[in-house]
Amino acid sequence: MLESQLQNLAASARERILAAPGPEQLEAVRVEVLGRKGALAEISKGMGKLAAEDRARIGKLLNTAKNDLEAALEERQKRFAGEALRARLDAEWIDVTLPAPGPRPGTLHPLTQIQQELEDLFTSMGVAVLDGPEVESEYNNFDALNIPPDHPARDMQDTFWLGDGLCLRTHTSPVQVRGMAKLGPPLRMIAPGRVFRNEEVDASHEHTFYQLEGMMVDRNVSIAHMLYFMKTLLSHIFGREVTVRLRPGYFPFVEPGFELDIQCLICGGPGCAVCKQSGWVELLPCGLVHPNVLRQGGIDPEEWGGFAFGLGLTRLVMMRYGIDDIRHLQDGDLRFLRQF
Amino acid sequence: MKFSYNWIQELVDGLEASPADLMRLITIKTAECEGVEAAGAHFAQVVAARVLEAEPVPGSHNRKAVVDAGALGRRTVVCGAPNCRPGIITAYVPPGVSLEGRETGRRVVAGVESDGMLAGGAELGINRDHEGILEFDAEPGAPLPRILPDHVIEVDNKSLTHRPDLWGHHGMAREVAAITGKRLIEPANLGRIPREPAAVQVSIEDLQLCPRYSALVFENVTVQPSPLWLQYRLEAVGLNPINNIVDVTNYVMAELAQPMHAFDADKLAGDTIFVRNAREGERITALNDETYHLSPAALVIADANGPIAIAGVIGGLDSAIGDSTARLVLESANFHAANIRRASSRLKLRTDASMRFEKSQDPVNTVRGLARAVELLELVSPGIRLVGGLADLAAPARTPAPITLPMDWLIRKLGRPIGSAEVRSILESLMFGVTETGPGVFSVSVPTWRATKDISIKDDLVEEIGRMVGYATITPTAPVVPTEPPPDNPRRRFHRAARQTASAQGYHEVYNYSFLSEEDARRFGLAPADHVTVANPISVDQALLRRTLIPGIWKNIRENGRHFDQFRLFEVGMEIHKRESGLPDEIPHLIAAIYERTKETGPLYEVKRLAECLMPGCELRPDTARMFEHPSRTANVLWRGHTVGRLFEFHPDFVEGRAVVLDVDLAQMEALAPVGKRYQPVRRFPESAFDLSVLAARRALAGDLQKQLASFAGRFLESISYLRQYEGAPLPEDAKSVSFRLTVAAPDRTLSSEEVGAIRDAIIEGMRGLGYEMRV
Ligand SMILES: [Zn+2]
Repeated sequence: MLESQLQNLAASARERILAAPGPEQLEAVRVEVLGRKGALAEISKGMGKLAAEDRARIGKLLNTAKNDLEAALEERQKRFAGEALRARLDAEWIDVTLPAPGPRPGTLHPLTQIQQELEDLFTSMGVAVLDGPEVESEYNNFDALNIPPDHPARDMQDTFWLGDGLCLRTHTSPVQVRGMAKLGPPLRMIAPGRVFRNEEVDASHEHTFYQLEGMMVDRNVSIAHMLYFMKTLLSHIFGREVTVRLRPGYFPFVEPGFELDIQCLICGGPGCAVCKQSGWVELLPCGLVHPNVLRQGGIDPEEWGGFAFGLGLTRLVMMRYGIDDIRHLQDGDLRFLRQF
Repeated sequence: MKFSYNWIQELVDGLEASPADLMRLITIKTAECEGVEAAGAHFAQVVAARVLEAEPVPGSHNRKAVVDAGALGRRTVVCGAPNCRPGIITAYVPPGVSLEGRETGRRVVAGVESDGMLAGGAELGINRDHEGILEFDAEPGAPLPRILPDHVIEVDNKSLTHRPDLWGHHGMAREVAAITGKRLIEPANLGRIPREPAAVQVSIEDLQLCPRYSALVFENVTVQPSPLWLQYRLEAVGLNPINNIVDVTNYVMAELAQPMHAFDADKLAGDTIFVRNAREGERITALNDETYHLSPAALVIADANGPIAIAGVIGGLDSAIGDSTARLVLESANFHAANIRRASSRLKLRTDASMRFEKSQDPVNTVRGLARAVELLELVSPGIRLVGGLADLAAPARTPAPITLPMDWLIRKLGRPIGSAEVRSILESLMFGVTETGPGVFSVSVPTWRATKDISIKDDLVEEIGRMVGYATITPTAPVVPTEPPPDNPRRRFHRAARQTASAQGYHEVYNYSFLSEEDARRFGLAPADHVTVANPISVDQALLRRTLIPGIWKNIRENGRHFDQFRLFEVGMEIHKRESGLPDEIPHLIAAIYERTKETGPLYEVKRLAECLMPGCELRPDTARMFEHPSRTANVLWRGHTVGRLFEFHPDFVEGRAVVLDVDLAQMEALAPVGKRYQPVRRFPESAFDLSVLAARRALAGDLQKQLASFAGRFLESISYLRQYEGAPLPEDAKSVSFRLTVAAPDRTLSSEEVGAIRDAIIEGMRGLGYEMRV
């Protein structure tokens, strides 16, 4: 009797489990059948009255029914949980095409970028990076560089005068003298920075621009060494082998002085509009350091020699990015700056 | 400086290089050429023609002229020149020839077809005469006498700064002869100067300022236009033809680099030329019609009555050559370079003469110039006669010591082997004197025209030999240098890191000028007098040097505000602060700004975040606002106990919308930045946290509350952080509740709940002691 009651109960419970439309109904079945006061518990309570042999048999049946129902219940629960999770995840849809909040990275000024790049390059070649003031004494800017007062070479650099023997430096070359005094021979140094010339501003002229001075002092420094150094440097800057040539140029702080040209990177030599059909582009002034300048730096020119050069950073930036108007570099216009 | 190819060719025997090749050679070996241009190409086609008839064309000022153009036959042309009349020989330009960029054609003028044209001096590029057509003497059909198509090579003046000799064609011809191995022709014949007593006396007050003064006197002078070829020569190199006498002085200057001046002898008082400093109050009206008040520093040429020229710069009008001049004194002098330069910059007058003298001309050249002039004057002023011989007063000639040039030293400098014979031949081609004083050692004497300033030491000879042997023959060679890292530049590294931080936070870097206007200084409450000022600014709005980066970033904000609703900018630059004496202080600053057009809460905390990224643990202390700052949104930035800068919102009078600025002193920051890091053991025992809320006045500073809380927390306080604040009901009107989370821990054990409770109670008690209500 008890046996058939158990079988009926198990069958109907299984049916209800399988038919439960949701977790609540499932829970109701569990409480009703498998709960502490559920139908199975009731049956198990009545077992005490049974004969020992029946008790063992019914007990076994009871256990089997309980395990079966629990397994069915668990499986059904898992299914509901899975469905619920799927529903939640589906509801969590977001529009991934919306923009990310927060600021975007800013930019470093193209002049900063090229300057840092060159500083790294020179540092890797064992060259010290030095600083010099933007306001210089007339003496450091000119006299110490072998350009005495009333020297016609002073016309080559229109100067902003500040009174009291001061001026805005017209080139980074005064750092040569500072560098020699600071480092002593032998030395290798560069000094990038802002320089000033009293010139009207237009698309290709600026009163404020940027140079990188370079200098090496050692025993037996030759033109051949300078050529090697410049060629290596420029090949790195332009990212390919460059052909350079020297021709005479006059700068009082070097002797001999040179203009260094590179073979036109646009046409490779035959001539084009960029190189004005000459095949060469004037790039930088350089030369062997004049003995008077070495003396100003406290270095004996009979024992030491050197070369020096001045690289126009502003010009390099314009060449690299194809900037056609120099004024963009210092007008603070974000429409220009954010491109870098 | 313009060089005529034909002129150089005249001075270099057998020169074959084309103008373009010559330009390349000069550029590579001597000085920078800016270009070469054909000049007077039309002279290949322009011919002499005789005017046969010239009938007025009714109803116009033109004439219909029939000319005999020799082999070109008879041509009918329309001509508007007043001097077009039968009998004269003039220049005929056939159709199809280009003049001044326009092609001469067959065109109908006033109903008459003009078959080509008759031309004047300006049209042909011979002189600047626009008045009429040329008149000269030649066979009809012949080319214009001694006028040929030419090329003009333009050389950059800057690259001639050290070469006084290259300010004349003969100097350049000397270079060309050395480069091409051709023979140089000497145009001056010193034999043309008679050895007789001079007809004029010279007195020089200071032989330092005027190392040499040479002069000749001429009579029976005819003043008239120069022959066309001479005018054309001058015109081609940019000199204005004036009259035959003045043209000769200019011709000699353009050829030999020796400036000259001609005085009308009959207009001079006395028989002595004085070279002296100007006297107080003296003045002179110069050839340019300007009157100059002379300072005693100026050197003048004077007669018995006063100045007749400003030495080396410009002649006086009163003694100028005119149509009636019959006798002349021809000056060929040498002046002290720096003195001429000072005079010309004081007078703001740069002339062809002063430009040459300031390059240190060769005193030997004065007589050579006169000798050349004698020959030319006889050519252009028929019947002219010399009166007496040379007047010549000079300082004792300076012969610089020869330069010792050791071959091994030279080879080390060049970085290329070179033989003694080649060195000798190069130097000799440039007219240096070379003797071998020992094995591998030369003694080199410098020609006078290179010795004034250009060449005095052996390094100068490296250039002479290097350029002539060709720099292209030097093989780039790696220098042998020690492999060691270069000295560090911590400042640059620090600035770079600051830039990196700012740009990573979304700020775009700007570069602003170092200049500021007085108006901008005042706008930002600064006295113009406190700035370093530019004595010669480009414009008044660039007269001061910035002592703050704020005006620059302010302009950036306003200008970009026209295009963007929000943006972030920063600049790293120098503040320049005036000092009593010596160089000003240059203080590197970083200035960063965020702009937002909307007037909501504003970006102050965003900017503060940058400050905290740059200076972890920095604090803001409210401070009195300057006139351009928001009165209740302005603070000093403190880091490690020092004020290192300012953070403020712009006053609405200055910026529409909201703009917040961080302005910090990078030098100070660098000095304060922690150096080196040391590992702290990771805590092994758990920490405990609890929250506390303080009821405080609405404008109480959370930073102060936090410090006060911390001060009562004792040694186990690990960290304290702001959580939130609340204002409104049920709190009193002017109060807020600020909540903090405190974390406590011991390094060697877990704190018991009693211990944590005791810490908490101590804090509450401490805060209550200060008068705060605690919400716990
Ligand atoms: Zn090219």
